[in-house]
Formats: sequence, structure tokens, C-alpha cells
Amino acid sequence: MTDQLTLRRSAARPAPRARPRPAPSAERVVLLAAPLLFLALMLAAPLAELLGRSLADGGAALRTALGSAVFLDAVWRTLWLALVATLVTVGLGTVYALAVAVGPAWVRAFLVAGLLVSLWTSVMVRTFGWMLLELPTGALYWLLHNLGLADAPLQVFQTTAAMYPAMVAVMLPFAVLAVLGPVTAIDRDLLAAAAVSGAGPLLTFRTVVLPSLRGAMISGGVLVFVMSLGFYVTPLLLGGPSNLTVSGLINAQLRTANRIDVGAAMSVLLIAGTVGAYLIADRLFRVSERWGGR
Amino acid sequence: MNPPLRRALGHWRAPVCVLAAAAALLFYVPFLVVVATSWTGGEFVLFPPQGFSLRWYASVLGDPEWAQAFRTSLWTSAVATAVAVVIGTLGALALSRLRSRTGRRLLRTLFIVPIAIPPVAYGAGLYLVNIGSEPLYGTFVLFVLGEAVLGAPYVFVLVANRLEQTDPTLHPAAATLGASWPMILWRVDLPLVLPSVLRGTLFAFVVIFDEVVLSVFLVPVGGRTLPLQMLGASQEAFSPQLTAASTLVSVVAVAALALFGLAARIRKDPP
Repeated sequence: MTDQLTLRRSAARPAPRARPRPAPSAERVVLLAAPLLFLALMLAAPLAELLGRSLADGGAALRTALGSAVFLDAVWRTLWLALVATLVTVGLGTVYALAVAVGPAWVRAFLVAGLLVSLWTSVMVRTFGWMLLELPTGALYWLLHNLGLADAPLQVFQTTAAMYPAMVAVMLPFAVLAVLGPVTAIDRDLLAAAAVSGAGPLLTFRTVVLPSLRGAMISGGVLVFVMSLGFYVTPLLLGGPSNLTVSGLINAQLRTANRIDVGAAMSVLLIAGTVGAYLIADRLFRVSERWGGR
Repeated sequence: MNPPLRRALGHWRAPVCVLAAAAALLFYVPFLVVVATSWTGGEFVLFPPQGFSLRWYASVLGDPEWAQAFRTSLWTSAVATAVAVVIGTLGALALSRLRSRTGRRLLRTLFIVPIAIPPVAYGAGLYLVNIGSEPLYGTFVLFVLGEAVLGAPYVFVLVANRLEQTDPTLHPAAATLGASWPMILWRVDLPLVLPSVLRGTLFAFVVIFDEVVLSVFLVPVGGRTLPLQMLGASQEAFSPQLTAASTLVSVVAVAALALFGLAARIRKDPP
């Protein structure tokens, strides 16, 4: 079974190249040891502290966290938010990337400039924009009111619903960027072959376009999902104090409730969830190879 | 431009473009609202803005609190980016020299996993380390190093992708000609990856400059980074000063990036 898998995997890849010769040891020490040591230390020390705090007193803090209804609420809210954000951004991101590839010049310019605006302005600034839009008498109300669609101030701000559009907007660029490269690299001969064989747009999309993009969509989706799980600013500012995500709850435990141990326990659980999700996805879909070269 | 793909989409092309343009509004509209509210003449953040005035810009630029936050962010981000670039580039170079499949896999995972760690949990852990270590507490050391950890993956990914595309025979060729490994590194690898390193520097800087969570937990008492200042201002009094500051930062960022892009283009194809 393992052999079969290896075989399939190597068949799916470009021909293996000659590897560089074994590196001399001094080279290894400088190139490998320094960054490894730095990262290992910077990751292990905080993790050890968190684990130590949450496991003290026979795991009392961990039990408190897991037994708290507020925490479980936050977990569901976070998971749901991340899932919706992922599905919407991957779908919308694919459409966006396709439009960049096939749109008329002015549409392309509009789309690319939008992507750049979003990438190069701070997440916080963009979140402020969403706050201003969603405030009871904010910009959105102004627009709807002038169109005659709303006569009472909006009740969106500081609700769970307020977080969704902003999260989608913040995460969308990552999904678009993940798919954009593969969209331009779709095999033209395959497209031509589909056209010659008389395949319509839907059939071509299903048999040529989608299979070429699937890997990128998955790795982009994993990135968005994992980042959404731990996102902080946008849910905090838009969801408000009564609709906390796990990140917001940890923040509250540490900074206002002064329960460092419970905050640490929740942090451990959150890290376990996100890193676990990432490692499983990496195992299943080889995400990091797509991100970090083969 | 991709004619075969365009033909393949057929009459679905128009809906695809319309939907994408609508999605692009998600990028434009919030930003434009922030910009618009910043030039209000009134005391409050209101949409539509009342009149036009640049008084809030003058207020931000003349405010020592904002200036200090900006300076703090600038130097801490610069140092953190430098560390992130060294670590990420070394890691990518090490990856290109590793032969063991498992080793490569582990190294890649280690370098990418900081993206998957929620900043709040990481910040909480670093905070606990910080309060427990006497010489570091009250300094920016752990804050800067933590930001470097968050920025390093982007450098690593960009440089590693570049190294994947380089000719694998360059190394044996250089070695056959008698070059030592530092010489190969200096004369073969670095020139090849330099553009990716620069792009990685830019990307890491933007990510680090923007990062707020570690600031919340690690910046010493009395210190303030720009994101922290903005977060505080948004929770205390959401004034036009905040949206003016937001606009200023964004304009500076976009201008810097446009200059960078222009410089890169000029270098690529000299007139």
C-alpha cells in the first residue's frame, strides 16, 4: 500500500532531478543549525510555559476551560466562522482569479488594483472600514436609507453576523493569490482539445479547469481556515464583547478576567486545534509543498 | 490575457467578471469609507463626512503620541524584519541542500507552522516567558523576536520557491571548479535569490508592521506600536483622528510599494 502510494506520488511529479552532493558539515551548521535553533527555541519556550500553566494542579485550568459554556460557545462560533469564511473565500477567490485571467483590460485593472489595495493596507484599517459601514447609522445605513430600503438604524454591529463579511474580505486575497498562479498555468492544449471535442463551458470547467485548480484551491482553503481560526482583530472589533471567538476569549482571560492559567489552557487547546488541522491537511494534501517549494 | 481560457468559459465569462467585480467592492468600499470620514470638518466620525477639511490630518501629525507610536513601530518592525529575513533565507538555503526526504519535510513544516499558530496563543505564551525572565522583561527583545518568528515563513516560502527553480547543476559545477561552500553561497546562491529575498523583506515588513496581537501582550509598559495605538483609539474614542491616521499609514504604504515596484521594473528592463 505504501509502495503504491509512493509510486503514484512520484509519477505525479516532474522527473526527479540530480540532488546536490552531500553538504559539508560546517555548511550544515551555519545554514541549518542557526535557524533551527532560533525557531525551536522561540516556539518551544512559549509552548512549554503554556503547557506548564494549563497542566498545573493536575490540569485544573484545562478542566475549567473545557467545562466552561462560554468557551464551548466560542469554539463553535470560531469553527463556524472559519468554515464559512473558507468556503466563501475559496469559491469567490476562484471566480476572482478566473476573471483576472479572462476579463477585459479595465476589469482586470479594477480587480488587480483592488487586490493590491487590500493586501497593502493594514487589516486594522480595513476592519475600521467595516465598523464604519456596519455602525447603526453607518455608511451602509446611509446607502440603504437613500435607496429607500431601510428606515431604522441597522442592528448589525457587534453581532455575530457582522463578522462574516469582514472576515471574507480580509481572507479573500489569500484565496485569490493561491489560485491566481495555477489559473494562468492551465494547460492551453487541454483547453483547445476540449474545444475541438465540442465540450461546452460547463463540461470544460468540470473536466479541465477545476482539476487544474483543485490543489491550489485546497491549499488556499487550508491557509484561510487555519488563519481564520486564530484571527483576532476583525472578530473582536466587529463581533463585540458578547460574541467572542476563541482568540477574543483568551485575550479577555489574560487581560480582564486575570485568569492566566485558564487563558493558557485555552491557548493550548487553540494551538492544538489549528496546528492539528494544518498538519492533517498537510498530510492529506501536501499543503506545505505547495507553499514552500518541493 | 488567456484567450483559450476565455473561449472555454464561453457565455459564463460575463457573470464571472460581474461577480469578481462585486467581490472587489469588498476591498474598495471599506477603505474608501475610512478615507472619506477622515476629511470631515466635524468632531465625529460620520458618513457622509460633513464638509471637507484636513484638520484631523494636522491633528494626527502634530500629536506626539501618534508620532512616537509610529517611530516605535518603524524601528521594531525593521529589526524584526531583518531577523526574519536572515532566518527565513538561511532556512530556505538549508532546505535546498538537504537530501533526506524526511528532513526536508520536517524543515518545511517547522518553517511554515508559525503561520498556523494563532497569534493570540503565541502572544500569550511569549507573555508568560516574558514575565518569567528578569533581564528581558520591560524590553522589546521578546516582542521583536516574536514578530520575527511570524515574519520568517513568508521569506522562507518566497526564497525556497526561487531555489526550487534554479539549475541544480550550478552547485556541482562550482564545486568542481574548486569553489568552497561559502564561495558558492556568496557567488552562486545569493545573487540568484536576491530578488526573492527583497520581496520577502517587503512582505515580512508589511506583515510585521501590521501585526497587533504581540504588541498587546509584549510591548513594555509605556511603549506603544502603531497598531496598538490604533486599537486603543478605536476602543476609547472613535474619532476622525483615527481614520486620518489610518489613511496616512495606508497612503505611505501604497506609495512605498509603488516606488518599490517601479524600481524593480526599471531594473528589469532598462529603457
